[in-house]
Amino acid sequence: MSLRVLATTVVQGAEQAAGQAAEHVAGEVPMGITLLFAGVLVALIVSLALEEKLHAKKSLIVGLFAIVALLLGAILLPLPYGPYLIGGHEMNMPVYIPAIDWGVITIIFGASLFVDVTSRSGLFTWIAIKLTKLSGGDPVRILWLYGLMTVVFSAVLNNVTAMIIVGSLTAVSLDKLGRNDKLLGFLLVEGLLTNIGGLLTLISSVPNIIVGTAANISFVAFFLKAWPFVVVATVATLLLGAKLFGIERLADEQAREEARSLVSGFDENDGIESRGFFWFATGMLVLFIIAIATTSIMPYVSDLGMGFVAMAFAVVMLIRYKSEVDQFYRTVDWDLLGFFAALFVVINVMEHAQVLGLIGQGVERIVALGPTLGTGAVMISTAAFSSVTDNIPLAAMLAKIIAGMPLADGMIRPPTDPLWWAVIFGANLGGNITPIGSASTLVAVTIIHKHGLKLSFGGFVSKALPFALMQIAIAVVFVLFVV
Amino acid sequence: MTDSGSPEHHGIGFSKVDQFESVFRAAAKVRFQYSAVEVDSVLVVSDRDEREAAAFGDRVRSLLGVLGRGENIRWRVTHGGEYDSVPALLELIEAERPGLICTYRHLHSDSWQWPYTLGEYIDVLTQVTTTPIMVLPHPEQQLERHVRRTKVVVAMTDHLVGDHELVNWAARFTDEGGRLVLANVEDAAALDRFIETVGKIPSIDTDNAREAIADRLERDTHDYMDSCAGEITRAAVPITVESVIVQGHHLTEYIRLVEQHEADLLVMNTKDEDQFAMHGLAYPLAIQVRSVPLLLL
Repeated sequence: MSLRVLATTVVQGAEQAAGQAAEHVAGEVPMGITLLFAGVLVALIVSLALEEKLHAKKSLIVGLFAIVALLLGAILLPLPYGPYLIGGHEMNMPVYIPAIDWGVITIIFGASLFVDVTSRSGLFTWIAIKLTKLSGGDPVRILWLYGLMTVVFSAVLNNVTAMIIVGSLTAVSLDKLGRNDKLLGFLLVEGLLTNIGGLLTLISSVPNIIVGTAANISFVAFFLKAWPFVVVATVATLLLGAKLFGIERLADEQAREEARSLVSGFDENDGIESRGFFWFATGMLVLFIIAIATTSIMPYVSDLGMGFVAMAFAVVMLIRYKSEVDQFYRTVDWDLLGFFAALFVVINVMEHAQVLGLIGQGVERIVALGPTLGTGAVMISTAAFSSVTDNIPLAAMLAKIIAGMPLADGMIRPPTDPLWWAVIFGANLGGNITPIGSASTLVAVTIIHKHGLKLSFGGFVSKALPFALMQIAIAVVFVLFVV
Repeated sequence: MTDSGSPEHHGIGFSKVDQFESVFRAAAKVRFQYSAVEVDSVLVVSDRDEREAAAFGDRVRSLLGVLGRGENIRWRVTHGGEYDSVPALLELIEAERPGLICTYRHLHSDSWQWPYTLGEYIDVLTQVTTTPIMVLPHPEQQLERHVRRTKVVVAMTDHLVGDHELVNWAARFTDEGGRLVLANVEDAAALDRFIETVGKIPSIDTDNAREAIADRLERDTHDYMDSCAGEITRAAVPITVESVIVQGHHLTEYIRLVEQHEADLLVMNTKDEDQFAMHGLAYPLAIQVRSVPLLLL
């Protein structure tokens, strides 16, 4: 048995042990203590909502709450300390280690490292510039091609990287074409599309990974369910964007010829340092998507999980830079990984403190409104919460709560249960209501401000609201009648 | 895959956005735009008497045989008796409205043998008129070699990228079958001064910065020169285009390149939007390079 297999087995076993311990302590926590921990959770959510004002990194904020929660838990709760029984062996480890969902951590770590190394090949900029030239410099064609690119990049890479790539290119191309007056509209539409693209696959956004993993939704099943919505929402967003921001086709042949000439100056090969590595990266990206898509059905690999696949691809890519891999380690988003680890610890303590059970009762009341009204209400309230606070803790919390809410017949909720999808869609689309609702829309606003354009919080909401309402309405209809 | 919090939490503040914008800005190349330069009339300005002025005019015609290529040129030779001051010469030019002025240094002056100025006429002409001025060696100057047709033309600048006009004029004056040498001389002293400043900023790796800046400058220039060669070939202009990109002391490098390529004509910009005096190094170069005809744009 390899070390990684052993580690995975250990973690899975430990999680089970922790879960068993949680069940064991259920009912033993006084309501006063539960409310105390609920207060800690509310304080955490408020702190995350105010992170810009606090000027503190997210990992630090949640890390501090994790310490407080663990200390309070150690004093007030019967936490499930080891030893843990793993594969028939007793193992000792700190209680906060099995609390972390290492599957999620490894997927994010491996995939972002893989994407970072792959982007050094010039592949993504090559695609971006090819599409720019294909547009011929026509604003409407640019909007559609960049919009589609945003969706695909968000699905394959991540929302933030997609927004940075497409947003940067948009700023440069519109400047070259002398169409800076349309920059705000373009960037806003692209920012909103990142959260649509984030719904395309299981690994396109963190809420997808968290809820998808909890609901046991496979990569292929997720894609097959989500793609019709992504297509409809993308087309609707682009049509509305072109209308609201006055993005029109070029009037005459002379203007078209001039625009064609300007974009023909782009050289898609400029960012490619090595043609061999470019093709290698292209091949690896295709293989990566295939491997992630088929992880659940591949013998042996299915046992190791998507995190293993992501990290394996990252390591293979790093061979190209074998003497300078430390540079890539430095670019890993340790703040994000630390944030996740600490968040899982906090949620685990909250589970033992019966806080999730308490929130679950509230969610149950909403669900009890009926399959239509209840599911719709869950999606809308998830979207509303996501628009002002972090959608990751929300998704993590709701995933745990819904997992603990069996169906009327006592069976666990299947992957096709609309409630899972209501949380997934709500958590992703809520990010389109405010500029702080998602990191990618915030990147869009960052680029807007970088280019001297003014857009306040209220200004963003007023411009984005028609899009967000339309997308959420489509999503409600989709989840209730199509999923 | 990640979708939470502020961009800074993803290490993607302005720096990451700027990094990608840099990649795309670098990919947005400036392509040379060829346009055939038309010279329909030439005004030859001499300060000699009628006979000597006509002889000088013949020398100019001989040098500019390339102008005969497919164009009907109106030639006009002025002699020293037709003007006696800068305003008078400017009036004459205004009346003629030539496409090109050909003359030499120190009109109506004996100080042509002192290589310290161009003389008041050329000083004013280069700044007042928008017409390109060709400055030939003084008629009394003993040349090491005879002025011949413009078989080798060197277009020289410290920033060639985007300077379509310079290249188009240089191409127009390159004789059939001749060589057009596009020379870009980066000022090493200026670069050193910036790198010295960079060396005092802890957050910037000095060696990397030096290498990256030099590499980027050279790459952009090289790409532009490639597009010049491509467009000129596509326009079926019967000349060959060569590229020279060097870093060094401006004046020294310019003079070395002129000698190395045995230039028959040196083409350079002289207009500077920020000042009335002649642009950058054009003035000292025009003074020092006295045996090679200069086309001042």
